[in-house]
Amino acid sequence: MTSTTPRPSGGLPVRLLLIVLAATLLDALASLQIARASLGWLPVPASTAAPYVDQLFQLEVGIGAFIFLGCSGFVLWAVLFNRAEKYDESDGLPIEGNTKLEITWTLIPFVIVMVLAYQAIHVSETLSALGPKAKYDLEGGSNPVSVEQLDPIRNYGPIQVISRQWNWEFIYPNGVRSSELHLPIDQRANFQLSSEDVIHGFYVPAFRLKQDIIPGSVISYSITPTREGRYRLRDSQFSGAYFSQNQTDVVVQSQEAFAAWLEQAARNPLVPGLSPATQLYQDRLSKGDKGWATVKPAPPPLVNDPGIPDAPHEA
Amino acid sequence: MTTTNPDLQLNHRPGHIKHDGHNLTGFIIFLCSESIIFLAFFSGFALLKITAPEWLPEGVEGLETRLPLINTVVLVSSSFVAYFAERYLHKENLWGFRALWLLTMAMGTYFVYGQYVEWSELPFSLSSGVFGGTFYLLTGFHGLHVITGILLMSLMLYRSFLPNNYAKGEMGVTAVSLFWHFVDVIWIILYILIYVWQRTT
Amino acid sequence: MTSTNYDPRVLKALHPVPGAPDNWKRFFTFNTDAKVIGIQYIALALFFLLVGGLLAMVMRGELITPPADLVDPTVYNGLYTMHGTVMLFLFLFPILNGFNNLLIPTMIGAPDMAFPKVNAAAFWIVPVFGVVLLASFFVPGGPASAGWWSYPPVSIQNPLGHFINGEFLWILAVALSGVSSIMGAVNFVTTIIRMRAPGMGFFRMPVFVWTAWAAQTLQLIGLPALTGGAIMLLFDLSFGTSFFRPEGGGDPVLYQHFFWFYSHPAVYVMVLPVFGIFSELITVYSRKPLFGYKFVALASFVITFLGLIVWVHHMFYSGTPQWMRNIFIVTTMLIAVPTGVKVFAWLGTLWGGKIRLTTPMLFVLGGLVNFILGGITGIMLGTAPVDIHVGNTYFVVAHFHYVIFNTIGFGIFAGIYHWFPKFTGRMYYEGLGKVHFLLTFIGATLNWLPLHWAGLYGMPRRVASYDPEFAIWNVVASIGAFMVGVAAIPFILNIVSSWARGAKAPPNPWNAIGLEWLLPSPPPAENFEDDVPTVISAPYGYGLGQPLVEDEEYYVRRALEA
Ligand code: HEA
Ligand code: HEA
Ligand code: CUA
Ligand SMILES: [Cu+2]
Repeated sequence: MTSTTPRPSGGLPVRLLLIVLAATLLDALASLQIARASLGWLPVPASTAAPYVDQLFQLEVGIGAFIFLGCSGFVLWAVLFNRAEKYDESDGLPIEGNTKLEITWTLIPFVIVMVLAYQAIHVSETLSALGPKAKYDLEGGSNPVSVEQLDPIRNYGPIQVISRQWNWEFIYPNGVRSSELHLPIDQRANFQLSSEDVIHGFYVPAFRLKQDIIPGSVISYSITPTREGRYRLRDSQFSGAYFSQNQTDVVVQSQEAFAAWLEQAARNPLVPGLSPATQLYQDRLSKGDKGWATVKPAPPPLVNDPGIPDAPHEA
Repeated sequence: MTTTNPDLQLNHRPGHIKHDGHNLTGFIIFLCSESIIFLAFFSGFALLKITAPEWLPEGVEGLETRLPLINTVVLVSSSFVAYFAERYLHKENLWGFRALWLLTMAMGTYFVYGQYVEWSELPFSLSSGVFGGTFYLLTGFHGLHVITGILLMSLMLYRSFLPNNYAKGEMGVTAVSLFWHFVDVIWIILYILIYVWQRTT
Repeated sequence: MTSTNYDPRVLKALHPVPGAPDNWKRFFTFNTDAKVIGIQYIALALFFLLVGGLLAMVMRGELITPPADLVDPTVYNGLYTMHGTVMLFLFLFPILNGFNNLLIPTMIGAPDMAFPKVNAAAFWIVPVFGVVLLASFFVPGGPASAGWWSYPPVSIQNPLGHFINGEFLWILAVALSGVSSIMGAVNFVTTIIRMRAPGMGFFRMPVFVWTAWAAQTLQLIGLPALTGGAIMLLFDLSFGTSFFRPEGGGDPVLYQHFFWFYSHPAVYVMVLPVFGIFSELITVYSRKPLFGYKFVALASFVITFLGLIVWVHHMFYSGTPQWMRNIFIVTTMLIAVPTGVKVFAWLGTLWGGKIRLTTPMLFVLGGLVNFILGGITGIMLGTAPVDIHVGNTYFVVAHFHYVIFNTIGFGIFAGIYHWFPKFTGRMYYEGLGKVHFLLTFIGATLNWLPLHWAGLYGMPRRVASYDPEFAIWNVVASIGAFMVGVAAIPFILNIVSSWARGAKAPPNPWNAIGLEWLLPSPPPAENFEDDVPTVISAPYGYGLGQPLVEDEEYYVRRALEA
């Protein structure tokens, strides 16, 4: 009789313990499967940061799935087996609490989240993508280019990344300008992020990295791409009317191909670069300027390589 | 169940809850909350002052401190006057209360006047960069509180003339003088942040 | 049912007179009765839920296909900004204040709020700023469209240059909302501290009162910071200052600190009362005392405290230096601990109970399961490296709709059904309620579960058009959203028809323990008036066989006879 009515104190509820053990095992197995699958939920990993982020993510999915399945499984079990019969108006077991149990379920989550926090800080420090930030005087005439170079750890760069409402411009150390970002593989590239108007976000999902660009400051940022290919690079911080169109690609090339591209581009004349918002705004004006107010898009930057807007990207 | 007696009503003791007199509690809670706005402005001010690439607008050397200092002394001492006014009220000396209360109001008014004089002589405006903006925002927002305080005090003064109104003590006076001390402490912090701490580069 | 022979004064009375037809006009007056104000808040908030939901339906319509074909991108930006603002400031905060008004006085045995006039004034500010906000749809240039964060410099660009513009009205509305909330908060906290029934020590208060207290404390500490930020933003927008304008030496990131210093705690302002509702309902419908009542009550204030020191987790990618990220990773993670205490306590309460799956209980259990999921994705966002990948993507949108609609929304529906008989005096229809639950649960799951994957794959939020690879998740999400929209029909039908002609509710239809259930349904104007019961035991004494108050039977009989 004692084994069928679960009581926190009293005799050894062997059957209950067995059920709990079996359920925990099942939960653990399922969570493991989910964690395995979870790497497939992310775009292809294309930078040195990606494996770290993905592993942390996988760990969290595993733990999270275990907790979620455990708790919801318990709710389901309670609903199935602790239902009141129809017309049963009686009360349940008047258990008011159990201090030991409560301390246990305070401590276990504490330990789990501290492990996660430790991991997160560790990964964050390993990546050290974010370098120093320097404010400059917009009105005093000094422009981002003349701010002293901020980050010494780099194999390549600094590349000036200039964001506007709504286009991107990349200026390489040799003066080449482009609308798509070209990067040599396996080189730690340093960027000097700056904005000419509002806050934008520099985001490459395949790299797992994102950094807001703050007008009035130059932010030093470094990335090491590890996989050749063409990936989405986009504005991730809402920047006004044509925010959704403010995207381009990053092209990761072998070091030889990159050098060749750089040389070729240097010989190209300057042409208007990628700026889908310009076209959309024209269309809007030609349709009678309907819709709600917006600032005018900045003119397309003049670049040596305007890129291939419709090329398929991998992620 | 412990009681099944049908004559319950006989031994039933009705409980009662106080309906009023929560004003001071409510007011103190409100003041604590209000102080956070100032805290927000102060920390914003400090952050901007430390990090802005340019602090003083062109042609501004810094702030004159003599007039504000006089102002500060007047405002801070008015807090003591208000305290003694309250003491008189406790001792049921209504005329003593009224006299000192009026003096507090006069000192507060002098402070506002001093601010006005200072503002009208400054060579920069609200739109002179972060320096101008924060200066006028902080002193202006504080000034509004001083004016509110004076208005509340005149309300209390008026109520002291209602017959028997203050016979059982008056929470309103306690609350207003609390408010006045609060405005005072805010000013001291503000004075240190704006006038004592100078950033020249 | 004829009701002709009532004294006309009774019909005009400010409070429902038992047996007399309800005088509905009192809901449109400056009434100072907390119960009237509570219903005013809830009805108005539900109206704005419909408005915010309608905007969401248009948004989901736009997002069902990749290009921006339904509305212009500028219009889309205005829609989601207004959707977020309406939902938070005109639906969620008001409806929770509605619950505070109905439940705090009745649960602690107070006749009314500490400051009834302030209370009524706080309510009437809500329709005023509601009108201000909705009016912004009609000013030249359209409503605010910089997102509900309203980050400068985008928010202060003011392309048309008009003085009165959408953003201006938006700031005005938010500031008024702040004034109303502060008035409410001062009132609720004072009432809880000063007006409890005799014998009701802090550890005999129902958990809802604890959570409301903890939540309102957050309002008092957090809101002034937002107000400060909003004042500065308004000056930048309209009076030429440059607090946040880089051109004048200002700092756009400073605004983000002001904003999140409040808006992070705000999420706990919203969820804490729902934790209270969960605690009240799980005990009633499991017929068990709350497991570890004291831990659950105190955990509310631990959440309040921790909630105040985690705001930078919304700014991991804003240029926040590493050391600061590290601190805020740790504090954010810690929130899981007190929240876990509550979750496990509810699970412990379910265990060995006599569970009854009524409509409110279904919403509670659905909301609880959703909350665990939404909480766990929150923890994932709290670890900076993962957040830096998924921040500002649909993963975040999915996280917060899971907590904000799939948890808080569910908790609110549960609360409405559970206390409906108490405050209207009528029973709702169980069948319609269950239809409402099923449609909402399935729709909300279809809506928000798939969008996690869109976000993980890199789909940004706040876009009217997106790359075609994200289309599949969005189609499913839109279908789910429309289902949730359809679920409004049984809900409205239920509320309206059962209030008009539902069966009369007894004082305690759920056989629940609590002071509010010792009152007649609906309770009279001053609740217990001058005959307040003396509390002699802790709340939730299900199965313990102890009375809650002295002379309990007297009060039970009195309620029945009323
Ligand atoms: C309204 C309710 C609400 C609630 C309750 C929460 C709860 C939490 N939220 Fe959420 N959040 C929002 C509403 C809410 N959030 C909103 C509206 C936004 C976005 C705003 C915007 O950008 O527009 C947001 C965004 C947001 C971000 C920013 C993401 C970004 O913009 O990049 C982060 C980052 O840390 C975060 C974290 C958390 C955490 C850690 C919790 C925790 O409180 C969760 C704790 C709960 C649990 C963990 C589950 C139960 C616990 C257990 C079962 C114990 C065991 C668990 C473990 C050991 C892990 N939230
Ligand atoms: C309380 C808060 C709340 C609630 C409930 C919701 C509910 C919903 N939201 Fe919410 N949403 C936000 C708060 C909320 N949202 C916020 C803060 C943002 C961020 C904005 C920003 O980025 O700035 C956001 C953003 C946001 C986006 C992202 C926009 C973008 O980034 O581009 C989307 C897109 O799908 C969306 C969709 C929905 C949908 C489909 C619902 C549905 O669940 C809605 C369903 C409801 C109805 C259809 C109405 C039904 C009515 C009733 C049931 C009762 C009526 C009764 C009577 C009148 C008596 N929302
Ligand atoms: Cu307190 Cu009436
Ligand atoms: Cu947060």
